[in-house]
Amino acid sequence: MALKVFSLPALPRVDNTAARLWPIATTVLAAVGSILPVHIAGYAALTPAFTLMAAYHWTIYRPDLLPPAALFAIGAFQDLLAGAPVGVSALLLLLARGVVMSYRRYFVNRLFPFVWTGFTILTGGALLAFWALHCVLDWALLDFRSTAFRAVLTVAIFPLGSFLLGRTQRALMGTA
Amino acid sequence: MIRLSPQLRALLQRTTLPFLVLASMVVIILGKADQSLLDSLRRTVGDAVAPALDTASRPLAAVGNLVDRARGVVAMYQENLRLTEENEKLLQWQDAALRLAAENEQLRGLLRLVPEPAISYVTARVIANSGGAYVRTVLINAGSNDGLARGQAAMTGEGLAGRLTEVGARAARVLLITDLNSRIPVMVEGSREGAVLAGDNSERPRLQYLPASATLKIGDRVVTSGEGGVFPPGLPVGIIASVDSGAVRVEPSVELSQLGYLRIVNYGLADALPKPVPVSPHTGRRGKPATDDPELH
Repeated sequence: MALKVFSLPALPRVDNTAARLWPIATTVLAAVGSILPVHIAGYAALTPAFTLMAAYHWTIYRPDLLPPAALFAIGAFQDLLAGAPVGVSALLLLLARGVVMSYRRYFVNRLFPFVWTGFTILTGGALLAFWALHCVLDWALLDFRSTAFRAVLTVAIFPLGSFLLGRTQRALMGTA
Repeated sequence: MIRLSPQLRALLQRTTLPFLVLASMVVIILGKADQSLLDSLRRTVGDAVAPALDTASRPLAAVGNLVDRARGVVAMYQENLRLTEENEKLLQWQDAALRLAAENEQLRGLLRLVPEPAISYVTARVIANSGGAYVRTVLINAGSNDGLARGQAAMTGEGLAGRLTEVGARAARVLLITDLNSRIPVMVEGSREGAVLAGDNSERPRLQYLPASATLKIGDRVVTSGEGGVFPPGLPVGIIASVDSGAVRVEPSVELSQLGYLRIVNYGLADALPKPVPVSPHTGRRGKPATDDPELH
């Protein structure tokens, strides 16, 4: 296990405060962005999982700058504002981090389609878990279709999110 | 900053994630066991973030208005024809309403009827929605500072949208009538059959507890019944959209998936919400609250 970890390139040191805070700031923005009212019929139930997108990107490229405590706080913050059961988003973001960290070596310095495929699998799993968790909490068989649509939208919009995060990351930290 | 030994730091790094996963689960279970536990935290966070959400949601609202306006320009001719026709009809209704109001006034005078409580409105903007979660709620930019209180009805021009469930100082949460936890006492206009409108997160909530003898047809109007004392009777809620093997579904009058502004209506009935009732020393049983629980869980 230790050998595999050391086979990854060491993360370059970032001294710039703005750059150090950027992963947390973008994930908070993603959380706020996902609850803003957009005037499109039916959007609220189909909002892409922006927070998961940011968490995935930063867990692959800068896990040191988006620690689990930040994911926990952002997830709880999002649930409080969305009026959802508190802890659900935090739990999913943390589990996503755990899964991505254990496969991280396969994604660093890989071509984008590979990273996208990884995100597709993660989104499928995360939103399935999200649905199952809500079914248990509400003790009812909830409609899975809206969550399936959310998953499709989330995966479809990932290239744009990843491009924006990657660009700002290069601009602030100088590495991809 | 405290310098930690490398071993301790490695241990901390290894245990943080499992610890926080466990903490999330504990928070979920605690929140489920006692929903009021996190209510004050919700209100505090809502109040703190409301100004930022208010600002951030303005450009989106502006874009929405622009799109609506562009659509309006395209459909102007058709719309004008429709409105002219509607206006003629409404003038006839106005005439009828004026006559009825005068007659009503006279009859009330004869009966010495107690006047209805004064109605006050607060108009608020939707600043956040539920963001894909399995809940149907919105956050609005008004709270107890503006005179809002738990239980008040949230409406648009078309009808009932929901009711206030959490009220902070600057922000309040509206539980929409489509939410899984929403229960509204209603009646079917015409037949006057009482029922409960139960949300199930779908676009069309269901009518529950309908009398077996109820005769319903698609298109019947559903209005609040006023039972439970939270809403006054007669607020438009929707129309019956389908009647399939016992499941009666209602199409809400309000387009709930793109709410812009909500009118919060205070009918002076908010005091009717049940408050914690002390145990009666004489009977040893809980005294009966002033009204039934409107949530009807």
